[in-house]
Amino acid sequence: MKQPEISKDLFNHLVDLAALQLNQQESDYIFLQLNHQLSAIQELKAIDIDPDVPIALHGVPYPVKRSPALRPDKVESCEDSSAILSEAPQLEDGYIVVPDIPHTTLE
Amino acid sequence: MMNYEVIIGLETHIQLNTASKIFCSCKADSWEDAPNSNICPVCTGLPGVLPVLNKKVVEKAVFLAEAMRAEIQPTSYFDRKNYFYPDLPKGYQISQFDQPIAVGGFLDLPIPSSADPQGIGYLRRVRIHKLHIEEDAGKTKNDGEKRLVDFNRCGVPLVEMVTEPDLRSADEAAQYLIRLRQLLRWLGISAADMERGNLRCDANVSIRISGTSALNEKTEIKNVNSIDGVRDAIRVEVERQTREVKAGRAIKAWTLDWDKDAGVLRKMRSKETEADYRYFREPDLLPLRISSKWKSEILQDFPECPLERRSRFMSEYGLPEYDADILTLERGFSDYFEETAKQYAGPLKKVSNWMMNDVMRMVSENDLDPMEMHLTPKFLAELIALVDAGTINISTGKSLLDTIRQTGKSPTSLVESRGLAQVSDAGVIQKMCQQIVADHPDEVAAYQAGKTSLVGWFVGQVMRASKGKADASKAKEILQEILKQ
Amino acid sequence: MEICNLSALEIRDLITSKQVSAEEVLKAHLKRIDQVDGRPGKINGKAISLEDKKKVHAFITRTEKKAFSQAKAVDEKIANGEYPGILAGVPVTVKDIFCVKDTLSTAASRILANFKAPYTATPVARMENQGSVMLGKVNLDEFTYGSSNESSAYQPSPRNPWNTERVPGGSSGGSTASVAAGEAPISLGTDTAGSIRQPAAFCGVVGLKPTYGRVSRYGLIAFGSSLDCPGPIARNAQDAALMLQAIAGLDSRDATTANFPVPNYLAAIKKDIRGKRIGLSPDYFRIAFPDADSDTYDQQEVPPAIRDAVLQAAAVYQDLGAHIVEDVPMPNTRFGIPVYFVISRVEAASNLHRFDGVKYGYRTQEVNGELKTLYRRSRGKGFGLQPKLRILMGMYVSAAQYSEQYYRRALRVRTMIRRDFEHVFDPNGDYRLDALLTPTTPSTAFPMQDVYGNSVLMQYADQLTVPANHAGIPGISFPGGLDKDNMPIGVQLLGPDFREDTILQLTHAYEQATLRADWRSNRPQVMEELPHNDEL
Repeated sequence: MKQPEISKDLFNHLVDLAALQLNQQESDYIFLQLNHQLSAIQELKAIDIDPDVPIALHGVPYPVKRSPALRPDKVESCEDSSAILSEAPQLEDGYIVVPDIPHTTLE
Repeated sequence: MMNYEVIIGLETHIQLNTASKIFCSCKADSWEDAPNSNICPVCTGLPGVLPVLNKKVVEKAVFLAEAMRAEIQPTSYFDRKNYFYPDLPKGYQISQFDQPIAVGGFLDLPIPSSADPQGIGYLRRVRIHKLHIEEDAGKTKNDGEKRLVDFNRCGVPLVEMVTEPDLRSADEAAQYLIRLRQLLRWLGISAADMERGNLRCDANVSIRISGTSALNEKTEIKNVNSIDGVRDAIRVEVERQTREVKAGRAIKAWTLDWDKDAGVLRKMRSKETEADYRYFREPDLLPLRISSKWKSEILQDFPECPLERRSRFMSEYGLPEYDADILTLERGFSDYFEETAKQYAGPLKKVSNWMMNDVMRMVSENDLDPMEMHLTPKFLAELIALVDAGTINISTGKSLLDTIRQTGKSPTSLVESRGLAQVSDAGVIQKMCQQIVADHPDEVAAYQAGKTSLVGWFVGQVMRASKGKADASKAKEILQEILKQ
Repeated sequence: MEICNLSALEIRDLITSKQVSAEEVLKAHLKRIDQVDGRPGKINGKAISLEDKKKVHAFITRTEKKAFSQAKAVDEKIANGEYPGILAGVPVTVKDIFCVKDTLSTAASRILANFKAPYTATPVARMENQGSVMLGKVNLDEFTYGSSNESSAYQPSPRNPWNTERVPGGSSGGSTASVAAGEAPISLGTDTAGSIRQPAAFCGVVGLKPTYGRVSRYGLIAFGSSLDCPGPIARNAQDAALMLQAIAGLDSRDATTANFPVPNYLAAIKKDIRGKRIGLSPDYFRIAFPDADSDTYDQQEVPPAIRDAVLQAAAVYQDLGAHIVEDVPMPNTRFGIPVYFVISRVEAASNLHRFDGVKYGYRTQEVNGELKTLYRRSRGKGFGLQPKLRILMGMYVSAAQYSEQYYRRALRVRTMIRRDFEHVFDPNGDYRLDALLTPTTPSTAFPMQDVYGNSVLMQYADQLTVPANHAGIPGISFPGGLDKDNMPIGVQLLGPDFREDTILQLTHAYEQATLRADWRSNRPQVMEELPHNDEL
């Protein structure tokens, strides 16, 4: 394999940004696969794109008449919000509990 | 001695007062509610949910953009701003990044003499960089080593408005917020109560040597929840930066948290200063298209804005700045004045006086909506005209205000039915005065001995005897005549 | 009669005409499941046995209680003369990527292993409203990331009913396997790069990817928001049409659903195809075969068996009076996978941000008082390899400094792919096609574990299906024969926006014309082994 495009440092930074934790095996595998995939997408760089080809966020166009209307400003409460809360791993007095984020103070 | 100039830019987040949230049908206002009681799958970012844009949010944002003279874009886009934080259930905020709903605009901010170091008062033009629509996050609070998360506020619609760094003092910043708050309430798009988080402000502050034009590193002050707080926090930061610069140290781009109880700023470990938000177009929403047809429909109800009306009251109505300020503070009160002015033929300063004193007192004491009162603009105009014509005296007029408000009867009909017409017949007053003088020889003697201020007391007696209906100035004239002898 | 071999339409008509009850139909299918499925996939399931290897393992969660109450409700309605819906009593399986209220909705991931959805996805709700009976949630590649169903955290993962040593395809492997094995006549799957069509081809069933925006995505645990399409899997075109009828249409909960009328598909598919213009493109008969070691791409011809199946279908169409248009250029087809690597990963990484252990799903117990640890450990333990791979790729190509070069560039190439289709489907253009006829996959079902591990090679399984996802157009795969190993070959039709009616019609016409084909008398391996006195 030729020179990897993503360096180990950048890889570790991405893992950090993605709030992930990898064991050594996963790390090795993913690092390899990422660089393989990047080779696969090198083709993209080489394509000659006409300057006025716009981006397509969706493949199908959404002309005005085919677009759904915006939502009217009406309140409809959720039938069962307690069901949502019952999925929370840790609750206290209706709040969802997480550990704190340390703040550092200045001056 | 170096003179330093203060450069301030403000970023405000304005909660819109729509009925429902921006992307779901939960209600928008849940300030009083128990935690996590105003939630649904969409605003809590459950797997599989999708956002659907509330039409009213766009309409209110258009109102604000128009008021700030910003350019409303016919097409704008939503983007995802990706980062991790417990109050952000989806792990991204739906916002607008590079193509927001409106760009540009300005506000000509009147700085009163009280806020001007030179004591004169002046106009500061504050340019707007852009306005965009986004969703609010939830709230977290500290509990020892834990953080408690409440999602009630997730999805409340926000307009973020960013100024250019055009403000030059903490006072100017405060004035901007005062005027913005006034405008938001005037337009009916936000309750704009900083203490309730309807209006939030981050301040970007830097200093530079006066006369230079480059911008230096700025710090960002967050978490201030009052206008006074903004003023104080900026002052503290300016002092700090000045100290640092004078000591030869560089200013770093910190994010600072204002502790209002201690009156100090603390450096925040920024959520994600290293974070790259990786903005990309929100694929779950279509581009926001505002046709000129829709725009004119929305703006059909667009009102005259407070600062414009304030200017007009001074130029067109010839009212002094003080009056114009008070009469354009609050929309209902201002519209009431306008209505009364239309129905009153005399000098508008008179109406202004009535409004600023008696009417305002009545409105605030009784917590009234001026336009809903039984004391209608028509009735007020009528009442003032009756006083002008001498049909009733001014104190009768003032006392009638409340009666009209409570009964809803016209001033004219009340004057008639209660026989309140002013007694202005000179003969009748003469008789009354003579009687009073005859009844109070001690006071007469005192007056004639030189205590001329007693005339007021005599007038008061005449008023009492006439049950308030005597023409007070006539009575005074006549009394002075009689007492001369 | 063997109820489980009947079509959905036949089953429904038997029920509504009271010849059989919904409950009896349900029992028959439960029996079939017991016979062929083996144990359902589980997290940390025990090692796979020889016995396991002979079974289908389509399910993650079986919902029998719910199914019985639904079947009962249908029978009651019919008894009372009330309208029971177009899917009255029809058993369905649902890919476990859809949220169903009060039911475990796992996305085949450890991170949602304990998640009971508090709401039901729109397509599922619409089927329920039409009287369907849900047998359970079926297995898939974790978060739909894969083309073989092997990446599921729930093992054993589904096996191909035609040969249980082979993969069923993915990511809707559980859906297609359950339908192929007669466990249900129809299944609700999703297609993001071919995840309905490719496993449909591998399992010898019909799989339809509707036009993007035709079916609501509300309740579909998102992978590629601009690519995901819920769609029907069935054993014939008519059943696919029936199911599409139930689920298609505008949804006020999905701002990307199209405000476009839903035609009567069942009526449409019976129409004559005479005069229809069907294109063949050389760009779909060449496949890129990535070489892991050299990172180069060999261009190969599609295997002869697959090519022949497509050409035979063309001949059938020609006999029926359609015009076959050859040499249709689709020059940007080969960029489909590279573009997909970029767009889908950016969207996936963002869509997976919400799985942070805070408000639902798996949360690590070892937290040591730090929020960051909570995130990392929960996501680290909860996500399998494939989600992690996609997240990291997504983070990379959308990072500020690379975004223009990768993400925005990919979105522009997407336009070019879209324009290929617009060009050939243009009613005033050079080709004026009603549909494009292509192979569905570059191979038939490969053996389990053969490809898994090579992420690039695995992705390339989708190279003939993914262009339709980029363009948003509808596509269908239907069985077009068997190869020499008795494995199904899929044939694909791609059509213009919202012309599901046309491609269903063409599929139906092909089915009717080939009813007596030899290969149609072959059955999947797991069904060969069913006892013969297996009867209602």
